[in-house]
Amino acid sequence: MKMKTSRVIILTVVAVLLAAYILFPFALVVLNSFKAQSAIVSNPISTAGASVQQFLQNLNSVVNNKAFVFWHAFGSSTLVTVISLVLLAVFGGMAAWVICRNKTRWSTVIYMVFISSMIIPFQVVMLPLIATFREVGKFVGLGMNGTLPGLIFAYLGFGGAMTVFILTGFIKGIPYELEEAAAIDGCSPEGTFFRIIFPLLKPTIVTVTILNGMWIWNDYLLPSILLGQNNPNKTLPVAVQSFVGSFVKSWDLILTAALLAMIPMIVIFILAQKHIMDGMVQGAIK
Amino acid sequence: MASISFRNVTKIYDGADKPVVPNLNLEIADKEFIILVGPSGCGKSTTLRMIAGLESISSGELYIGDRLVNNVPPKDRDIAMVFQNYALYPHMSVYKNIAFGLTLRNVPKDEIDKRVHEAAKILDLEHLLERKPKALSGGQRQRVALGRAMVRNPAVFLLDEPLSNLDAKLRTSMRSEIARLHRRLDTTFVYVTHDQTEAMTMGDRIVVMKDGLIQQYDTPKVLYDTPCNLFVAGFIGSPQMNFLEATIAAEDGKLFAVLRDTKLEIPDFKCEALKPYIGKEVILGIRPEDFLPVEYRTDTNCLYAKVDFCELLGAETNMYLFVQDKKVIVKMPSYEEHPVEEYIRVAVKADRMHFFDKETEQAICH
Repeated sequence: MKMKTSRVIILTVVAVLLAAYILFPFALVVLNSFKAQSAIVSNPISTAGASVQQFLQNLNSVVNNKAFVFWHAFGSSTLVTVISLVLLAVFGGMAAWVICRNKTRWSTVIYMVFISSMIIPFQVVMLPLIATFREVGKFVGLGMNGTLPGLIFAYLGFGGAMTVFILTGFIKGIPYELEEAAAIDGCSPEGTFFRIIFPLLKPTIVTVTILNGMWIWNDYLLPSILLGQNNPNKTLPVAVQSFVGSFVKSWDLILTAALLAMIPMIVIFILAQKHIMDGMVQGAIK
Repeated sequence: MASISFRNVTKIYDGADKPVVPNLNLEIADKEFIILVGPSGCGKSTTLRMIAGLESISSGELYIGDRLVNNVPPKDRDIAMVFQNYALYPHMSVYKNIAFGLTLRNVPKDEIDKRVHEAAKILDLEHLLERKPKALSGGQRQRVALGRAMVRNPAVFLLDEPLSNLDAKLRTSMRSEIARLHRRLDTTFVYVTHDQTEAMTMGDRIVVMKDGLIQQYDTPKVLYDTPCNLFVAGFIGSPQMNFLEATIAAEDGKLFAVLRDTKLEIPDFKCEALKPYIGKEVILGIRPEDFLPVEYRTDTNCLYAKVDFCELLGAETNMYLFVQDKKVIVKMPSYEEHPVEEYIRVAVKADRMHFFDKETEQAICH
């Protein structure tokens, strides 16, 4: 009994330390967005100089900043994130379903390609990607570099692997008889996917969407190289960069803007936390 | 008109070296209740799935009514199927599950509502229509699966081991429910099971299958009384028929089945068929219920046996005996009790003895 209690205490202490370690940068962002530039520079971990009034002033400077164009960047981020997530869910689900249900040599190869793409770091492909996108853009007659559709297309590629990987695991657990019953009831293959399979994937789709959503919303590197700093449609994380000058870094505005960019994801994560855990567990035991 | 006709139908899976169903010929009449029965892997489910269109046909022709359906997709075959694991759509309510097929066929809403409520009334599901499948018991789920099939008014009703996931009590009640449903719907039913009690009690005719081949196709009574070979004799009946090796001997113008030191007199009406086997070994089949209780035991036509153990079932007792080192099951009234290892004599109903050729395993006479 004593052993058990001490183990619980040790685990709790470790968990608290780990949480503190992870939350520390976030706490720094929150704390310093309530401070003026001078107070941040003099001591970033002190509460001296932090006030709600200062925060509101920072907020006002960020939202009304001519270089930053907060609402435009917010719109771009929302557009890219929402469209990417919808397409990832639909196409990822379709791909996972077909890979799972058509057991051929090719489906296995395609699945392996998906999986192997997960282990290649983005940094390895980011420069060839620009050249490839230029060629793809020429081929399809659409501008892929520097446009939001191009960015969404890139997210489909980079997010597809994990989406297919997680959804395939879940689809394996769905009894095949459901699809046979649907075929007898009169469903076409498309009908079977959208009426039977897709609704059953909901818990896992929510999980995948949250994970992809956090990544896409917060992503800096991909939009920065695909859209560029001077693009009028840049996303929020890239736009925050406009507070970083060659000689001056406006930490008060950078951190306030970063906090603003984080808030939507934090809210969504808290609201959907139950679904994320449900999805994780369902994928694990089925 | 929904007769089903298999003409030289063969099914071989990709990569398999032999067909799971080789050259099947089977005629199922309109409105008949047919049971496909056999051990696991005998091809009964594959046969059913070929009717449903869920398995392709490698060669041969399959007709539903007058229509060749080899290449007709499942939805256009006018069939409905009840699956072993129910296959209810988990995200839909009972109502939506039952109505799903009708919705896809663009049946007007009023008509769907009417049919769903009719089916729900018959199956006693009216109070469950808004529930999701996970909130139902096994029996209720199975009834929803039946309801989903019913509302479509299909020409052929296919049932793939629909009761195997239910407990024994529920299975008994659902058995009669399905039989009643057949009478009510008056349509062709094809039912797959490995449970021979279901086979005997529900179907008009039974198809006994083994290794993809039809062993016998007849009414339950004919199958029970005159099994065509050793496999059917052993498969139909519970507990299964006892098989003993015996030699046919002639003495004073009569024939006897001789089991070492025991002689069983063969009735005259079986003698003609057995004459070619005089002096040869045959397989003697005696059903557990074809032994006589103690008061009928005489010195003739008795087997001398050692009691292994007795199983009291309430109304009757199953006695497990050893007859010359062979295990024999005997069904007796429940008052028959014998201690373990006691030697007893059990009388055989001679007119109910079955004889099989030892080589070909085909029936000689019954």
